[in-house]
Amino acid sequence: MQREVGTLPLAPALRARLAAAGFQTAQELLDTGPCGLSKEIGISREEALEALQVVRQECHGDAARTAGGSGATRNCTALELLEEEQTQGFIITFCSALDNILGGGVQLTKITEICGAPGVGKTQLCMQLAVDVQIPECFGGVAGEAVFIDTEGSFMVDRVVDIAAACVQHCHLIAEAQQEEDLRKALETFSLENILSHIYYFRCRDYTELLAQVYLLPEFLSEHSKVRLVVIDGIAFPFRHDFEDLSLRTRLLNGLAQQLIIIANDHKSAVVLTNQMTTRIAQSQSTLVPALGESWGHAATVRLIFHWDNSQRLATLYKSPSQKESTIAYHITSHGFRDVQPPAVTHSTEGTELNPRKRPRTEEEKQQ
Amino acid sequence: MAAKKLRRAQLSLEMCGRLSRYQITTCQDFLCLSLLELMKVTGQSYYEVQKLLCKVSRACAPKMQTAYEMKLKKSVNPSSAFLSTTLHSLDGVLHGGVPCGSLTEITSPPGCGKTQFCIMLSVLATLPVSMGGLDGAVIYIDTESAFSAERLIEIAANRFPTYFDSDEKLLCMTRSIHLYRELTCCCVLKRIMSLEEEIISKKVKLIIIDSVASVVRKEFDTKLQGNLAERSNFLTRGASVLKYLAEEFSIPVILTNQITTSLSSGPGIRADLVSPADDLSLSEGSSVSGKRDSGCVTAALGNTWSHSVNTRLILQYHDLPTRQLLVAKSPVAPFSTFFYTIEKSGLILQDQKDQTNVVWEGTNPALQPIRVRNTALKDTLHDAALPSPTGETSRSTSNL
Repeated sequence: MQREVGTLPLAPALRARLAAAGFQTAQELLDTGPCGLSKEIGISREEALEALQVVRQECHGDAARTAGGSGATRNCTALELLEEEQTQGFIITFCSALDNILGGGVQLTKITEICGAPGVGKTQLCMQLAVDVQIPECFGGVAGEAVFIDTEGSFMVDRVVDIAAACVQHCHLIAEAQQEEDLRKALETFSLENILSHIYYFRCRDYTELLAQVYLLPEFLSEHSKVRLVVIDGIAFPFRHDFEDLSLRTRLLNGLAQQLIIIANDHKSAVVLTNQMTTRIAQSQSTLVPALGESWGHAATVRLIFHWDNSQRLATLYKSPSQKESTIAYHITSHGFRDVQPPAVTHSTEGTELNPRKRPRTEEEKQQ
Repeated sequence: MAAKKLRRAQLSLEMCGRLSRYQITTCQDFLCLSLLELMKVTGQSYYEVQKLLCKVSRACAPKMQTAYEMKLKKSVNPSSAFLSTTLHSLDGVLHGGVPCGSLTEITSPPGCGKTQFCIMLSVLATLPVSMGGLDGAVIYIDTESAFSAERLIEIAANRFPTYFDSDEKLLCMTRSIHLYRELTCCCVLKRIMSLEEEIISKKVKLIIIDSVASVVRKEFDTKLQGNLAERSNFLTRGASVLKYLAEEFSIPVILTNQITTSLSSGPGIRADLVSPADDLSLSEGSSVSGKRDSGCVTAALGNTWSHSVNTRLILQYHDLPTRQLLVAKSPVAPFSTFFYTIEKSGLILQDQKDQTNVVWEGTNPALQPIRVRNTALKDTLHDAALPSPTGETSRSTSNL
């Protein structure tokens, strides 16, 4: 109630007038009432009423916040956060090595950035995740939907069909191996058409469309409350040309990052961004670094860098708040993102732990 | 979309007038401002400004499609999703052929067959749909003056002798290939920007730019300060316009690229020297640092360009006259290699091996080493008795 008039979200002209008239706190405004306000400042009664409604809303929000109740900002103890984190799902990638170094998979409510050289598999992983987020809960998935924002035009529906078909087949094989009723029931809704219908695709041609889409995203997500993954494939591409003013670019990128963090938290979804690599020339050497500059490195919570080592694709976990830095190898097969097949052929079947996501490898798979 | 005037975003006239006093006339200007700046400029409260932002965003934002709708759209007209190259194994691996709606790049050392491939594809695009073509016109932007109309007719007559049985049909085909000679970066960019109207009026179904690298490398010397950034700027701008055209009209766009020397003096560190003169001396690899892994020949134009193209095909020498075609980067195809020769009827695949050369590993398409010709030349110098089957290939293009 003692809030200063200058901090209220009113129109600047109105604020200037209130300051000139000598109003200092919000309480004074509320006490004056709309008619008195309109006479004193010289605005119409309707405008005064609107202003008072804004003030009341703000103060109500303030009071709720200071009382420690639920408002726009949450206060909670670390214990509550721990419980939340432990029950939270991960979006698996079907490459168990990658899931392991990430601590289970792509985490919800966090921003994960994937940087890599061209052709290394960033878009493939994004397409894989858009399918994997829809895996039903009884198979270890999060049963969500996906939003795919494409700025580079590398989304190929045929490839998503292949990946989705392989995922459905994998789940069918698990259901057969484990013979449980609820698994089979879940599979009825987990079909190719359903998977494809729950990937919402937006094609943004330049950074204006991207900014516009991210502004509209909260509304879209409230309408489609089951979305658990937002992928922006190619956050670098629209920002890398036509920008003479680099400070504007930094500001826009930071604004984008903030909005994405809010979206990730409010809607409990994972945000995955892909970035390009660029050549940085320092003295006489040049190295490949993630694009968009140093300040962008702070935007993502988790950063993965994909690179090549001769003909092997490697993924390095470069930045993570909870996992340590490590590198693993992966493959891209016709079924999607997969582990590198281990060289020793071991016939371990049901003896080892029954991970519901895995099934014993059969002979045909080994030959692949 | 970005240049959309605010008037059309359904803002009130009074608001538009007020904003134009601050030079904010397009949606792009509006969305680039922060909330506080917007409040100052519009004179509205916080909540009002948020509503305005949503209104303007809705005017610019793209339309949503689900992946299922996209698949249905494609399956309605399957043959229009790609241009079949009539090289069967290649088509099989690429799920049909050169994909429509994305950029495909063909890189090779000089004389391997880039222009031949482009000419062959131009013929294929003009064929009717029943024969696997796109039944449309072709726009061919030639920056090296390497296009030969006689070779075009030769390929057409030899590859489809039953279809092109009369001169009339050949002339009709040549009439639908529109050739533009551009010699500077600026002209190429201007031409690309003006293509939208031409595509509609001439019913174009294929765009070929042969080659992007020659104009760019003539004008940008990456050793000079600032040129690297300008070059990337030009390339990404060109790439985004081409992508827009490709997607809007659902046509394939083919670009050709040259090769460069990539020196690496250790893992993860490489310098991008863009100097054609260095290419030949490269195989000794003694130029800069005497360390190991001195370098390899790879596709030119750098990393950013490798990101911008969606598919990359590399042609390289194997042993005369056989050459090799690699699928180095593709969102649908694994890394695979094929052997081919250049005959009267264009490129012919040698099918001695079948799918066993499909490999899941692949290599970095930006650093894929490419075999140049000088090693092959050394062999033929020793083997003077070898008859020259390259007699047919050497007549056609000036690339050699």
